[in-house]
Amino acid sequence: MQAVLRAYFGYFFLVLIVRVVGRRPGRQLTPFEFVLVFFIGGLALTAIVGDERSFTNAGCQILAVALAHYTIAWARAKSRTLSRVIDGTPLILMETDRMGQRLWRQETMAKMRIQDTDVLFSARDHGLKTLQEIDTAILERNGDISVLAAGGSPDDEPNSADEPRRVREVKVA
Amino acid sequence: MSQSAATKPVEDLVAKVNEEVAVGEDLGFQRSWWRFERILWTLFLLIIALDVGGMFGRGPLAHAQATSADGSLHVSYERIQRTGTPSILSVTLQESAVRGGEATLFVSDNLVGALGSRRIIPEPATTRLGDGGFTYTFPIGKPPAIVRFELEPSGAGRFPFEISAGPRAGTVSADVWVVP
Repeated sequence: MQAVLRAYFGYFFLVLIVRVVGRRPGRQLTPFEFVLVFFIGGLALTAIVGDERSFTNAGCQILAVALAHYTIAWARAKSRTLSRVIDGTPLILMETDRMGQRLWRQETMAKMRIQDTDVLFSARDHGLKTLQEIDTAILERNGDISVLAAGGSPDDEPNSADEPRRVREVKVA
Repeated sequence: MSQSAATKPVEDLVAKVNEEVAVGEDLGFQRSWWRFERILWTLFLLIIALDVGGMFGRGPLAHAQATSADGSLHVSYERIQRTGTPSILSVTLQESAVRGGEATLFVSDNLVGALGSRRIIPEPATTRLGDGGFTYTFPIGKPPAIVRFELEPSGAGRFPFEISAGPRAGTVSADVWVVP
């Protein structure tokens, strides 16, 4: 009973901590962030497992965590608000206004602790060499930075002033 | 014949950038979340500060001392302890607690049960059960003498305990809080 409660507490506590620590997991995981993931994981394990090293305990705790995860995934699919609380919403990091001027979203960049070099990393990853080649950069809910290239495909005609700007999505892995 | 899959029309509800790129950004929600994060980080800092201070055990605020009214006993212990974490409770016996080269020490049941006394250093010469606890006797040379109890609580809660140097001698009563 206590072991299952410890597993639930550990799971929900880690979900909160990971959500608060920041949205930079996955492909942007730097060695610095590796330390965080392994350290938090190791520390949580000590308290959650405690002195119960039996197979029964491990099995029950794994089932408890699986159920907690399933419940969160189910609730997230049912409720848009909960989905935003758990995953956040995509955030625009850079946009291009009607005049064609590229603008950083300073508040978002600062509060999400993201630098222009992070955006450039994603741009390079998708074949764009400079900031001028980017139309819009978006911090996705999973921490990836999606980059929409400026000016449509290289074969397209240049945009006229009356026409809405064309963008070409660069595939994000 | 297989059943057809349930469908519904796609509604274009996702917020757009410059009315062309569907992103789904909600800055209003995000600003509320940032405010919540600020509160949470403040709370984290407070918890860390309290922990360093010993509010959750193992720090200056957790350490406590008590002396019996007649001065025969001095007890040094951790008033806040952690589940499954060892600590030492020391009892200093003064001259008035020693009779005929021997000291008697009564400890209430909580010290052995809830607070998990694992070992007594030195080992008592005799142990007597009853009266809601354990009565130990120790042969003593020249006082003061120190008896140490190694504690390791197995569960959280508030546990009062009592230590005395005999039926008509001074008593120390205190509470220990055990955090999970």
